[in-house]
Formats: sequence, C-alpha cells, structure tokens
Amino acid sequence: MGEEEAKEEKAKPKEEFKLSFDYFNESRLGIFALIIGALIAIFPGLPAFIEGIGMIIVFAWGADSVRKTARYGLGTGVPSIGVLAVGFGIVGGIAGIAIASTHFGTLVVGGVEIAFGVLAGVALLALLGFVSGNLANGDKFIDMKIPGLERGMTELGIAGTLAVLIETSILAGTYHITKVLPNVVNNGLIAAIFILSAFGMLQPYNTCLGADERRGRTLLMSIEIGGIASIILGIAATLTLSAVEGVPLIVLGAVVWVAYYRAYMKACMEEAYATPGTGLIKTLGG
Amino acid sequence: MPVISLFAWMLVIAFLAFIACMFEDLESDIGSQSNPNSQIQLAPEMGYIHRYFNKAISGEGLSYALSCTIAGAIAMLMLLKLEPMLVAKGMSLGYAAVLAIPVGAAVGSLVHMVRASTCYVGREAAHKRFEQPIYLDVFYGHLLPIATHNFMAVICITAIAYIQSNLGLLSGVAGASNPFPLPLLCLIWGLTVGAIGSSTGDIHYGTERAFQDKPFGEGRRVVYHGQICRYGDCGIRTSKDVAAFCAKYGGPATGLTFGLIVLFENWRTVIGMLLGGLSVEGLANPAVAAAGGIGIGIVIAAVLTILNRMLEKWTRNKYGPFVGE
Repeated sequence: MGEEEAKEEKAKPKEEFKLSFDYFNESRLGIFALIIGALIAIFPGLPAFIEGIGMIIVFAWGADSVRKTARYGLGTGVPSIGVLAVGFGIVGGIAGIAIASTHFGTLVVGGVEIAFGVLAGVALLALLGFVSGNLANGDKFIDMKIPGLERGMTELGIAGTLAVLIETSILAGTYHITKVLPNVVNNGLIAAIFILSAFGMLQPYNTCLGADERRGRTLLMSIEIGGIASIILGIAATLTLSAVEGVPLIVLGAVVWVAYYRAYMKACMEEAYATPGTGLIKTLGG
Repeated sequence: MPVISLFAWMLVIAFLAFIACMFEDLESDIGSQSNPNSQIQLAPEMGYIHRYFNKAISGEGLSYALSCTIAGAIAMLMLLKLEPMLVAKGMSLGYAAVLAIPVGAAVGSLVHMVRASTCYVGREAAHKRFEQPIYLDVFYGHLLPIATHNFMAVICITAIAYIQSNLGLLSGVAGASNPFPLPLLCLIWGLTVGAIGSSTGDIHYGTERAFQDKPFGEGRRVVYHGQICRYGDCGIRTSKDVAAFCAKYGGPATGLTFGLIVLFENWRTVIGMLLGGLSVEGLANPAVAAAGGIGIGIVIAAVLTILNRMLEKWTRNKYGPFVGE
C-alpha cells in the first residue's frame, strides 16, 4: 500500500507545475531519462512497478524525440517515426538480451543480477540510429535536410531499445534467454510490447499535431499511454511471474492513467478556442 | 473428411474477414481516420470550421494493430489460465475461447475508444488560432459508435487468429495450426485489416463525402485542400452521418476486398496442399505444396490485373478522358 501512496504523491506535483515541463527541457529530459532508463534496465530483478516508472519516463523521452524529429513538417510520417524507433528497439533489445545472456554479460553480486550486457545493445542502436540519421540527412545520400535528424534518430534508437528492454524485464524478471523465450517471445507478448511502446512514442505528437501544439500537453499524453501500458503489462506479469509483481504495476498504471488522462483532457479543453456544449458553425451563419 | 473441414474453417475465416474489414472501414469513417483525416485537419486552417470528429490516433493499420494486439494478448492470457482448469474438469477447450475472445476484444476496443477520445480534443486544441472549438456533443456522441464498430472488427480478428492458431485441433489435420502465437497473429491481422480499410474504404469517403465537386479522374489540387463539404443531408454534418452513407457501398466494398484476399489466399493454399498430398497425418510433400500454391497465386494475380485493366479502359471510354489528358 505504501507504494501506491508514494506514487500518488509523485503524480500530484507534476500535475500542478502548470503542465509545462519547463525544467525538463529537451536536453534535460533526454539525459534524465537515459540515466534512469539505463539504471533500471541493467537491474532486471527490480520490482515490476519500479520498472514501470522507468518505462513511463522512457516513453516520455521517446515521444519528445519523435516530436523533435517530426516537428519540421513530417505530417503523416509521425507514426512511421515512432514505429521506426520501436523497430530499432526490438533489434537492440534482442541484441542486448543475447549479450546479457552470455557469461560475461551479467554479473551476479550477492544474488542481485546486474546485466551490463544490455548496454551493448543500447550503444549499438545509438550508433545505428546516428548512422541512419546521417544517411537520411547527409547531402551525399538522401539529403532530407531535416534539422536535428541525426540527434533525433540516435535518441529514438536508445529510447526504443530501453523501452523494449525494460518491458522485457517486467515480463520475464531476468534477461536470461531461457526465461525470456517462454515468457516474452514464444507466447507472443513481444507483439504487445512492440505496439504499446510504439504508441507511447508515436501517438502523443501525432494526436496533438497542429499550429498550437504545446510540448507540455504532448508529454502528458505519453505518460498517460504509459499508464495504459503498465496496466496491460501488469496483467501479463501477474500470469507470467506472480501477483506480487503484477498487481502493484496494475495499481501504478491505474493511478498514472487517471491522473494524467484528467490532466491532459483538462489542459486541452481549457486551451482550446472554445468548448461549447453544442452549436452550429458561425461562418456558416448558424 | 478432415480435408473438407480444413477448407470449411478457411471459409469461416474468409467470412469473418469480410465482417471485420466492413466494420473497420465504417469505424474509421466515424471520425475520419487515415487519409481523409489530413483534409479534416487542414480544413480549419483554410477557414473551414467544421463539426467532424478528428480521430488522429495514427494510421488505421497501426491503431488496429494496437486494439487487436491488446485483444489477442488478453485473450491469450485468459486461455493460458482457463484451459488447464477445463482440462482438469475434463471439459472441452472451446469453453475457454467462448469467454476469452469477447473479453479480449472488449478490452481492446475500450483502449481504442480511450485513444480516440484524446485525439479530438488534442487536435482541435492545436487549432486554437483558427477559432476551431471543441464541440462537446460531437466529442461524446462519437465515442460509443467508435467503440461498438471497433468491437465488431476486433472480435472477428481475434476469432480469426484463434482459429488459425488452433486449426490443427479444429480440423483434425496434423500440422495445420499456425506456428505463430495468438497476439502476434492479431498484430499481423490488425495491420492488414487496417491497411486494406485505409486503401480501399477511404476513397469512397474521401471523394464522395468530403469532396463532392471533383471532376472525373482528377486528383485533388493543392489549392483546394482542406475545403471539405460541411453540409449533411439535413443541416451540418458530423462524422456519424458519414458512416450511414458509407455503410451502403464503401464499407461492404472494403469488406469484400479483404474477404476476397483472404479467400483467394486460403483457397490457393488448400489447393497447393492437396497437390502436395494432404492427409490427416499432414503433408506428404511440402515442396510440391508450396510450389503449387505459389503457382496458383501468380495465376490469380495475373487474372485480377487483366480484369482491373479492362475495367479502367471501359471506365475511361464511358465517362470521358481524365482532366488534363
């Protein structure tokens, strides 16, 4: 019960700082999420609800990177960017898990598993993202001339990989391939991991797109999707691991979802031009 | 006899695909997802304040992948829990599916409805400077039709995935089950149903409802983008009215497209398997089965291409040349 109360306290001040994310500007959010995400990713034995918090933070970073990359008029390409990030993530996640499953990839200190190997997957995808960003933007190749594309693609590679890794450890509790295969891959839950992470990153900017889009609103929504993902992964973890892992994650997801869905809807309704109950269109003479 | 029941199950899958894609298209029309959405999005910027629902979750393929995968994951988890209980009591495994598939689909469409609800407020709030309000009656009035139409599509897709992954058990032919697990099949089918609904269904909505004054064969010029038709049959149109219109032609046509794709696909596979010596024990000669199936598939594709070309020629002759030809 203590966990739930702590979570509620965490949710409230965030809702109050006027939904602005001023302190967490793009660079700060990136560094913060990278550190928290990497720390949580290398300890697969952590309780699922702490991993859930890490996943939500990584989602917010991914959504911010999608926003950064797609802001220059990508329009219908926004969902593709999000899917690209998680495509990166699946590749990096599987690579990281493979390295962590080797005898040098994981240290066991006093019964606590520390999987340094997964960071190799993260680094690999950072490199791959940087290279593909350069290929798309470089004047010798496709020459898309999108400002910041190299940085955006690098961040997407890292965020996607961290999201997949953390979600895998929520469901399997370890990175050992003998546990990951039956708990995550063979039963198909990897499909749910893929699509939930993709939506955490692509939907916020796609949905809030427009002339008066605001970063704070967009990020609120990514946290809200993180809440839904936590609920569904919590249900899955209850069955693949145990109720001790799953139920706190479900509670975390429910609290986060209610708080941030309300905050997002309120923010949109208040910031819109008007919110009438009904009405005709004034330019049509109604 | 098992071979006949295999084909019968494939016909059931084709029928479910027809229903799924028809409802998928109608659902995407309620709220103008996918292609028409870019016009609904542009309209306020061109001064065309509207009362359409703006459902910009993502493309249809991805948003259906989301609701179908969640449905598949929940159904799979329930099956995992329920099937051992049924086995212990000596009951048929089918009872578990009767409960798991609808519950999974309900959760999937609930998530879809929540995602849709964030879209309308999100996009219209981003249109503040063009004086586009959020109409609350439009907002609340569209959520239930979206959820119900989505439920119909998702329950059919989940059922298809369930049948495919248990086909060996259902038809009695060894090795006929799909090796992929249920959520992964749901992801693939969700992407497919969304893609077909987007490519086939949007044309009817876009050309005949959003734009009604377009010369034959002309693509919409950039100058006219966003200038959508805002009047309904009576008064100002909302997205729900579009579904009633598209249910007469666009939806069934889209369903037919997807149903035919699944039917042809299954038909050629079964014929190929018969050529490869299909029996209760499975395939005698998988290589011949694959080659036969691919050969028949190429013939079907060639025939369809020729038919399409003939139809296009006939249309051009009958309704005059395209503008600019």
